[in-house]
Amino acid sequence: MTTATLVNVQELEKNFPLSGGGNYLALKGIDLEIRKGEFISLIGHSGCGKSTLLNMIAGLDLPTAGTVLVDGETVKRPGPDKMVVFQNYSLLPWLTVEQNIALAIDEVMPGLSGDERKAMIDEHIDMVGLGHAGHKLPRELSGGMRQRVAIARALAIKPKLLLLDEPFGALDALTRGNLQEKLMQICNEHQLTAVMVTHDVDEAVLLSDRIVCLTNGPGSKIGGILEVDIPRPRQRMTVVHHPSYYSLRSEIIYFLTRQKRVKQWQAKPHKVLARHGLEKVNVDLGFIPLAACAPMAIAEAKGFFSKHGLDDVHLVRETSWRGVTDGFLDQTLDAALMPSGMPTWMTAGGHGGDPVPIVTALTISRNGNEVTLAKRLAEQGVRSVEDYRNWLQSHNREPHTLGIVHPASMHNLLLRYWLAASGIDPDKDVHLQTLPPAQMLADLKDGSIDGYCIGEPWNLRATREGHGVPIVGDLEIWNGHPGKVLGVREDWALAYPNTHIALTKALLEACQFCADPAHWDEMAELLSDRRYLGMKRELISFGGGKDSEGQFAPHGEPHHLFFGAGVNRPSRTEHLWILTQLARWAEIPFPRNYVEILERICNISVFSTAARELGIEDVSYQRGPIELFDGRSFDGNDPIAYLNSVRVHRDFSVAEIPLGVPRPLAA
Amino acid sequence: MTTSTTPIANRGDRSAPTGLALWWKNNRKLILPPIFGIGGFLLFWQLSASLGLTKLAGPLSLFTEERTRELLFYPFFDRGGLDKGLFLHSMSSLSRVALGYTLAAVVGIAAGIAVGLNKGLDRAFDPLFQFLRMVAPLAWVPIALVLFQNNQPAAIFVIFITSIWPILINTAEGVRQIPQDYRNVALVLQMSSRRFFTKVLIPSALPYIFTGLRISIGLAWLAIIAAEIVMPGTPGIGFFIWDAYQNSYVSDIVLGVIWIGAIGLVLDRLMAWLQQRISPGQ
Repeated sequence: MTTATLVNVQELEKNFPLSGGGNYLALKGIDLEIRKGEFISLIGHSGCGKSTLLNMIAGLDLPTAGTVLVDGETVKRPGPDKMVVFQNYSLLPWLTVEQNIALAIDEVMPGLSGDERKAMIDEHIDMVGLGHAGHKLPRELSGGMRQRVAIARALAIKPKLLLLDEPFGALDALTRGNLQEKLMQICNEHQLTAVMVTHDVDEAVLLSDRIVCLTNGPGSKIGGILEVDIPRPRQRMTVVHHPSYYSLRSEIIYFLTRQKRVKQWQAKPHKVLARHGLEKVNVDLGFIPLAACAPMAIAEAKGFFSKHGLDDVHLVRETSWRGVTDGFLDQTLDAALMPSGMPTWMTAGGHGGDPVPIVTALTISRNGNEVTLAKRLAEQGVRSVEDYRNWLQSHNREPHTLGIVHPASMHNLLLRYWLAASGIDPDKDVHLQTLPPAQMLADLKDGSIDGYCIGEPWNLRATREGHGVPIVGDLEIWNGHPGKVLGVREDWALAYPNTHIALTKALLEACQFCADPAHWDEMAELLSDRRYLGMKRELISFGGGKDSEGQFAPHGEPHHLFFGAGVNRPSRTEHLWILTQLARWAEIPFPRNYVEILERICNISVFSTAARELGIEDVSYQRGPIELFDGRSFDGNDPIAYLNSVRVHRDFSVAEIPLGVPRPLAA
Repeated sequence: MTTSTTPIANRGDRSAPTGLALWWKNNRKLILPPIFGIGGFLLFWQLSASLGLTKLAGPLSLFTEERTRELLFYPFFDRGGLDKGLFLHSMSSLSRVALGYTLAAVVGIAAGIAVGLNKGLDRAFDPLFQFLRMVAPLAWVPIALVLFQNNQPAAIFVIFITSIWPILINTAEGVRQIPQDYRNVALVLQMSSRRFFTKVLIPSALPYIFTGLRISIGLAWLAIIAAEIVMPGTPGIGFFIWDAYQNSYVSDIVLGVIWIGAIGLVLDRLMAWLQQRISPGQ
């Protein structure tokens, strides 16, 4: 019976009439089920309507549309079965602690005898540890003590549902911590169902079974629900060591930061500025801090954007690839540096929503990725993938986690390919977890992951700082694989074709600049700035490791390709390979209409126009089949046969991905 | 106080002030200025009266005029009719105030709660209240006389109508100002209206009600003088002053005024003390 639903919020909507006429739509389309015994947190920025939602569950406020059911009955008015603990305690100041609690008990349980009543009051005062303060007036108590009285009062009437409105918001950190533990203990002991409004991320993770994130108003809705899989009983000091803690925490913080960014973006005017024969000269260009963002930084610093007419290009630093995906979904970004798998992934709907066709006209970088394993593995003799396989077999009792930055990134696909070709199932023998780059290094350091596959400077840093050892470079897996590409939405590309060409030109010119080793010092200096990578320039390298014959060392040193024959032109064969790999690992179904998809993703005409106008002559370059390290080649003639022939794969499906007719953004 | 400070003082310098001297040192800044202020005022008044700058008798006339001195020292005599000591006059005035003021308190608090709880009533009557409270006590006298055709009830009515407004308006405000949190607590606990009234509304509005009551007691006392001055033939301190004026007993007037001020002050202090007792620290 513990899984029975207690609260059911359906299609909830709330409108507030404004004093100047009109309405403010606070909440819209809220659906939420709360099971008995669950602890739910509502989190979001101020003004997102989380208290309004709580008040509607409490019955203190009625929804404009939709219903709230508690135990199957529509909530029409407040009642003691849905007791609220208010943020500012709401004790009656003229009554003592005992009298305040007695007031609630008398009201809800009028039939009690004098002794029972007294026992009940004392029990609840003791429960919150206020035995010595029963005769005091609220004003004689500290904030923390007052809130404890409010909790005791709420619990004394044995509510079905406890509703807490930022209960610890006004308390100092120490008191807050103690009260959180107390509340958690009481909730566990009495199997309480609770809903808490909070803006404290750590508090939400510590206390909740599920965390409901609300988007910004007007018209707030549920942006996501996170399950907290940390076992109970929990302790404030030890939950932080649980592997899920930081990923949950960063998930919520990502959500909140994203909401803030969208709000800031909405606050600015967004006019399309047409100039110099370009449809739009103001471009928000997203990137994440990696060495491969060098062409963007250079194009900005060297004025390549303005040279090609883009007067107002703004580089937007995202902390994760997810930020780039979301920026494309809500159209706060015009264009972005993206992993080469992202255009196919988003076009095929891999992000979990409707397919969003993405176009790429430029491959910005190739290579530059590496697999790093933790130092402790190297110390146990792990030097190659075979060693790692054997090591995994001898350590199969422990979980093994490897970090990747994004499911659609080349790191993930190459790492999986490399593991699978060497007899390690990337889902069964190890666990691949998506982590932000900075988190990976920290996790490698404290031993919670075995290693990771990522671009520079994170491999170099792990090596230099002595936390990891490079084990294989991408040169050994697939030399010349596409790394990062320039991506835009298809509707954007159709609405601003000349801007798209200008952007491609500016970045292609920057790529050319970046490919010259003579410029690498300057680039490292530029990227070390806080606007880009914000780390020591010695850690930023683009291709230092050449041997005496001028060849790149296979691993241990970076080896970016920014420019050259066939480097920058988008390749359908490569994107098809990516499609097969994404389908192989069940990120997306393999699209039956893959020919159409590839045609729409790879905008070769924009690239050709840009290259021709810059006077660059590699337009006619033709690429042969892709050769990978295990000796298999991929020519793209029969992708499904290829998929069926690989040894390790998930149960993939083949499906039509409906993209609709290409259509430009509405002006 | 002296016992506790003495040993400390003895331990130190011999010339350090002890006992009364210490108390004087600590408090003279609080005591000296009012003495100078009041003394200076009385001196100025006496001088201007002695020099004939004004026809108003000086403060010393309270003692020099034999009739006034008698009134000053024997406030309890009663020779029948209107010839009574000042204490007895004051008591008649006070009993009238007590009646009018109690009526005003009962009606004012009840009406204030009704208006505070009900927005419609508030909108309907607030302009009227705001208008009526601007009418001076003296202006009510003829209306009261027309209404009641009789001095006694008319005087009580004047007190009532003058003192009701602060009580009413403050009570209404107090009810309006009940924090939403307290209302929410009552809502969540599903309190009955009767329990809400006694457990939440009254205690929460009490400080406002007392503020109203305290302002009103002053106004009621102001009104009684006005009422009695123009309603001769009723014993009371207002009548006493008016009578003294008719007979040109200027020093009697001064004495009457001093009584009025003193009684007003006592009434106000009394209310303040009551407020402190009933709703401490709110």
